[in-house]
Formats: sequence, structure tokens, C-alpha cells
Amino acid sequence: MNTIASQFNNNNRNHVHHEINESNGGYGGVDKLELTPTMTLPPISQPTDFLRAHTDDATNPDCKIKIAHGTTTLAFRYKKGIVIAVDSRASQGNWTASQTVHKVIRINPMLLGTMAGGAADCQYWETWLGTQCRLHELREKERISVAAASKILSNLIYEYKGMGLSMGTMICGFTKKEGPTVYYVDSDGTRLKGDLFCVGSGQTFAYGVLDSEYKWDLTEEEALYLGKRSILAAAHRDAYSGGTVNLYHITEEGWTYHGNYDVGDLFWEVKSQEKSFNNVDG
Amino acid sequence: MVTVRSESNLKNATMNHDPFAWGRPDDNVYGKYNQSIAQAKNNELDAFPKMHTQQPIITGTSVLGIKYKNGIIMAADNIGSYGSLLRFSNIERIIKVGSETVVGVSGDISDFQQLERILEELVISEENYDNQGENNLRAPHVHEYLTRVLYNRRNKMNPLWNSIIVGGFDNDKTPFLKYIDLLGVTYGSSTLATGFGSYLAIPLLRKLIPDDKDYSNIEEEDAKKVIQECMRVLFYRDARSGEKFTLVTVNDEGVKFEKDVEVTGQSWEFAKNLVGYGSKQL
Amino acid sequence: MNSTVASEYSSEIHTTPIEHRFNPYSDNGGTVLGIAGKDFAVLAGDTRQVEGYSINSRYEQKIFNVGDDIVMTANGFAADGSALIDRFRNQLKWYKFDHNNKKLSVASSARYIRHLLYSKRFFPYYVSTLIAGLDDEGKGCVYSFDPVGSYEREQCRAGGAAASLIMPFLDNQVNFKNQYQPGSDGTEKKPLRYLELDEVLELVKDAFSSATERHIQVGDGLEIFIVTKEGVRTEYYPLKRD
Repeated sequence: MNTIASQFNNNNRNHVHHEINESNGGYGGVDKLELTPTMTLPPISQPTDFLRAHTDDATNPDCKIKIAHGTTTLAFRYKKGIVIAVDSRASQGNWTASQTVHKVIRINPMLLGTMAGGAADCQYWETWLGTQCRLHELREKERISVAAASKILSNLIYEYKGMGLSMGTMICGFTKKEGPTVYYVDSDGTRLKGDLFCVGSGQTFAYGVLDSEYKWDLTEEEALYLGKRSILAAAHRDAYSGGTVNLYHITEEGWTYHGNYDVGDLFWEVKSQEKSFNNVDG
Repeated sequence: MVTVRSESNLKNATMNHDPFAWGRPDDNVYGKYNQSIAQAKNNELDAFPKMHTQQPIITGTSVLGIKYKNGIIMAADNIGSYGSLLRFSNIERIIKVGSETVVGVSGDISDFQQLERILEELVISEENYDNQGENNLRAPHVHEYLTRVLYNRRNKMNPLWNSIIVGGFDNDKTPFLKYIDLLGVTYGSSTLATGFGSYLAIPLLRKLIPDDKDYSNIEEEDAKKVIQECMRVLFYRDARSGEKFTLVTVNDEGVKFEKDVEVTGQSWEFAKNLVGYGSKQL
Repeated sequence: MNSTVASEYSSEIHTTPIEHRFNPYSDNGGTVLGIAGKDFAVLAGDTRQVEGYSINSRYEQKIFNVGDDIVMTANGFAADGSALIDRFRNQLKWYKFDHNNKKLSVASSARYIRHLLYSKRFFPYYVSTLIAGLDDEGKGCVYSFDPVGSYEREQCRAGGAAASLIMPFLDNQVNFKNQYQPGSDGTEKKPLRYLELDEVLELVKDAFSSATERHIQVGDGLEIFIVTKEGVRTEYYPLKRD
């Protein structure tokens, strides 16, 4: 019906009218915030090339739009629950854009997500995941499992595969059915269940410390310290990681925040306590 | 890393997992970085596919605008160039929009003619249909409107290849002068010039009005004198400029078009001192 | 949305997509900064607009009072900046029409701006965005955004061309980074405290006059928007015009 009507509609036949109407678009009336967002693409034949040309500061340091990057994050399962530790630095090229980024995203009181890669991608889609989880609760009258939540995210990401999203995230939670659970989800569409993950540019340094000290029977105190200590190692050696360490712990009661530690102070504290970092004077 | 590093796995990865370029786009998926889009590397521009619809063909050069005590003055020559060919010498590039606003356009002439059609529609709807006995359509409205049209076109990657100066009166009856270009960038000043004029004429104009607010001390004759001087300098040095131009004055008496104004007081004495290009003439 | 070319002649069928060699971005320079105090927030910016090495205008407003005592700026590519601010201001108006003139909190504004920015994730607004105002407890707050919408509440933030010149200065003078108590031999940190409005204004003026000295895209004028519980007011100071 509308297609027939539009044939006789002045707007479609008069390109000046059409252009005028187009120009006014987006300014009048309310833009609806849909649960499935609509995203503008550059109207050209290679939109991904376009995006990359303007945003990939690693290949072209002169590119104008620098998206916040760089991270070390980790999460591991152990007897008492899950420990999550992250740094807080965001870099745009060689510029440290922020030393105070919250890289743990509180999806809801039971679920946490970590943030590595594009800061906006992680923030946006993990808060979006929060709404999806809430909708699941309302529909199913029970809390969503970590497996389902992480799959909603990874399915979404997979739809955008190859478009230029960059995220490496761990979806962590505790449910009666699953116990403490960690899923690694990244922008390739990979989704893996596991006991222990480190993600980001400083992952190798964190793995080094974490792997050597990790065991299932850690006490809560030991586990939290190990998480913190692993991020410290990465912050020390990886230029793109640093700032502060944020620590979280997840049990069947949900998550608890275990504080923010400035790497500048933490380093000297650990060094004198552990008698480690002997490569550094002082 | 979590994925096994084999050739086939890398081909599936959209994200670079190498810690040194962690989270950045991977060449294996996105192909090589396209240098030509962000004009990151200019010598590759020739290899880039040519645009068919969007590059200026017939062009008009600088438009000048200046505020003075009682209004604004605008000037533009009548040349339409086809590359370096002087193709037309009767192009009128300053148009009256409504009863007290003028619009001067440089850049592509066909896009200028499209703008003329759009503005005519605007005048029909705003001045004729919706008029409540007042002159509703003023320069700030025309300016805002053109900004929307041009920004919308740039969003479609299909720009109107023009730089525009809008002159007239603000809502409080003070002189109004603002600029818009093909990207939708706008700015206002007491002295404006497009194209070559922004290099050659602006210094002369700013000599008369160093501080934006000082236009209120400027007499019409002084403003006209400096415009004449600018048109002369442009004629000396801008190879695409002409010897005759249109001078438009907008003040409380209305809009006055002076056509075929000649560049006066030329002295080509300086030409004999030009050295450095080609062989020196004795 | 269409991934091939949609021109205004949308009824025409393109068999081959048109290739373009048009760069839709430019950089209009300028720099902005926001600082939050105990019961106030300021958002300041220079008033110069540039393109390449040319100064377009010595006074072009780029900080705006968008309503509900929220001030906003989007520095970088001027056309994207004003489009973003226009869109937000417009949406704020509609929000008030639709919700019985309810006040929109700064936190909610920040969340909405994230959605505006992220909706152009694949064709980004080239801007660094800042908003400032008072939070629900009446404390000053500043939110900063990257071009595609990641955001954070902060005590202070510089954005734009001279951000790398001003931000370290702010870290030191607002958050007292690397400042220690005299005589403590670098063991005792200078305790954090809220700065008073007059101290903040002095910092802002110093930051901009210094940035003007060392950055070619900064200068001409300094416009400061100050949000207190009394509302929004502005101050203007000239900067060097060279």
C-alpha cells in the first residue's frame, strides 16, 4: 500500500523535496531507543576499510580517531568462588587517555564482565547484556545462567564479526546450577568455559605469575592477593597496562568489591614485603 | 592465548591476539590497511578509484564577506572555471534568499545550482506560505538550514562541493555573517572569505577589523574599499579569478546588487620582480 | 541502513556502488577542559576555530548550556561536534515534553550521550565530548567520552588538541599526583581536598594561557561555563591571538 502511495508522493519524485526532508531527519521528534540498536554505516562500498582507516592507530599513527585500548584483565575460579582483577589504564596510541578506567562492568548484582580491547564496545555491549539478562529474569522467573548470558553476548558479537569490533571479555558469575563460572568471550566470536583466563596486551605477564602460584585450594585471602599480584606484574612490564588494580570476588551471594590499589604504592609495598622485584633499586 | 596458533585459526580471528598489537584489527581478516581512505599516504591516491559523481567540475573561486556598521558586504567574481580553462564568465554566484539575506557560493557550480533550487523551495514555503506578514526568513535560519543540508550530504559521503557565506541580519537586527562548507563545518566572523581568499584576502580584511566586535565602527565606504583591494590582490594572484565581480550590500535600506564592478587601480609593476619559476626575464 | 551508496536519488538503482575519494573528516583544533568541585563544576574551552594552518574564527562558541543546568562540549571535528550537541539538546527538550518537565540528571545524560555516540560506532563522530553539572547530591561532576561512547565520571579532564599539554598539569594540580608533604621525603602524599571555585578558575586560566603558548591551534579567547546550584554563568578572558 505504501509503496503504491509513494509512487504518487511528491517527495519521491521531486529530488529537491526529498533532499529537504532528508536534511531535517533526525532533528524532529524523539529518537526511539530500541533494545536492538540500529547502527549507521558509512554509505560506501568498503565500510570496514573506512572505519579502519580512521581508527586503527596501530597501523597508522596519524589516524584521527583514536579509540581507547590496552589492558590487562584476569579472572580465575577456585574453591571459594571467582577472583577478578584488572588494571585501569586506557591508551590511545602512545597517549595514556585515562588511569582510572573501571574495567569491571557490573552487569547485575550476580554477574560481572571484564573489559579489554575497545572500551566503548565492552561498556556498551555489556550494559546491553545487563538489559537482556533482566528481560530473561522477567520472562523466565529465574536468574540467567552464566552460560546463557555469555552466549547472548557472543551471539551478538558474532553478528558483527568482521565489522571492526574489538573486545576480549570474561563473563563471570555464580549460579546454583553451575557454581562459580567463567566464560571467555571475544570479538572473533570465540566463547570458552574455563578456570583461568588472562586477557589483554599484558596477558602474558599476568599468566606468568598466575600460573606459577595458582591452585584450586587457595584461601580467599591468597586468591585475592594472587589476582592483585598478577595484575601488578603486568602493570610493571606492559606499557599499555597500569594505573590502579581493581579487585572483585564472586561467591554464591554475588560479587563483592575488594578495593582499588594504586600501582605506584602497591609496587613498593609488594617489593618490600615479598622481597621481590629485585631488578628494581630501592 | 586461548586459541591454538595455527594458520587456519588466524584466518578466523578478526582481532589481533599478538600482545604487541592486542585488540587491533587483523590483516588476515580485514585485508591490508587501506591507506587511501584516510588519505594517510598521498602518493597512493592515484591508485584509488576515481569518483564519478563527486569532484568539482565547473568551479567558482573565492567569495568575500565583511560586516560593517549598517550591515554586510559580499563580493564574488563571475568566472566559472573548467579545471584551468576559463569556461564561463557570466556566472552569478551571489543570490538573494528571501528579502534581506544573501548567499555567496564558491566551489562546484552544479552543486551551487542544486542549492539554488533548495533555497527557492525554502523561500516558497517560509516566505510565501507561512508568512504572517513579517519577514520570517532571516540569515541565521538560512544558515542553519544550509548547514543541515550540507552536513547531511557529507554523512551520505555524497557532498555538495561548496563553501558558502551567508550574510544578512540576525534576529536582533545586527549584521550576520557566517560560513558553511562541504563537511558541514560552520563559523562566524566579521571578516570571511572562501577558497584562495582565506589566504589572500583575510589578512587584508582583518587589518581593517582586527577584533570581531569592531565592525560597528566601520563605514560602508571603508568596507567597500578593502573589498575592492582584496578583489585586486586575488586577481593578481589567483589564476582562477576574474576582473569583474558582483558586489552586494545588505543594510537597512535593503539588498543592493552592483554587477560588473571592475577591479580598479591595477599595477602589474610587481610582476617583473617575480623570479624563481621558469627562466628569468630580462 | 544501506551499506552501499544512498544518494538523495534513492529511487535510482545503483548497479555498481559509487567509489568515493572524499574525506568526511577534518580537524578544527581547539581544546576544552572540565573540572568538578565540591558544589560546582566548570567547563572551559578556547574560542579559536582552525582548519589546517588557517584560523577560521577567533570566536566560535563550542561549549553550550544544553538545558537542566548541564553544559556540554564536543571538541574535534566541528561539524560532528555541533551535530552531536544539537541532537542531545533536541532530545532533552523532547524528554521534558514527554515526561512532564522532569529534570534529566547528569548521569542519565551521560548514558544517553553514550548511545548517541555508539549509534555511529562504524562511522564515528570525531569528537572528544565532555559534560559537566551537579549530581543528585549537589556535588560537581564531569563526564568524559571517547569518540565512540565509552565514558567515565572524573574529577577533571582535558580534551582536544592540547589535552596532552593540559592533562598532566591537571593531574598534578587537581588530583595532587606526585605531590608529597614537604619534609616527608616522598613518603607521605599530599592529602586530597576539593578545590575552591576561585582556585579552579585560576588553574583553568593558567592551563589555557600555557596551552596557547605551546599549541598553534589554541588561543584567541577563553570561555568558561560555571555550574552552581544558582544555575549556569559564563566568563570570558582574552588569550593571545598569535
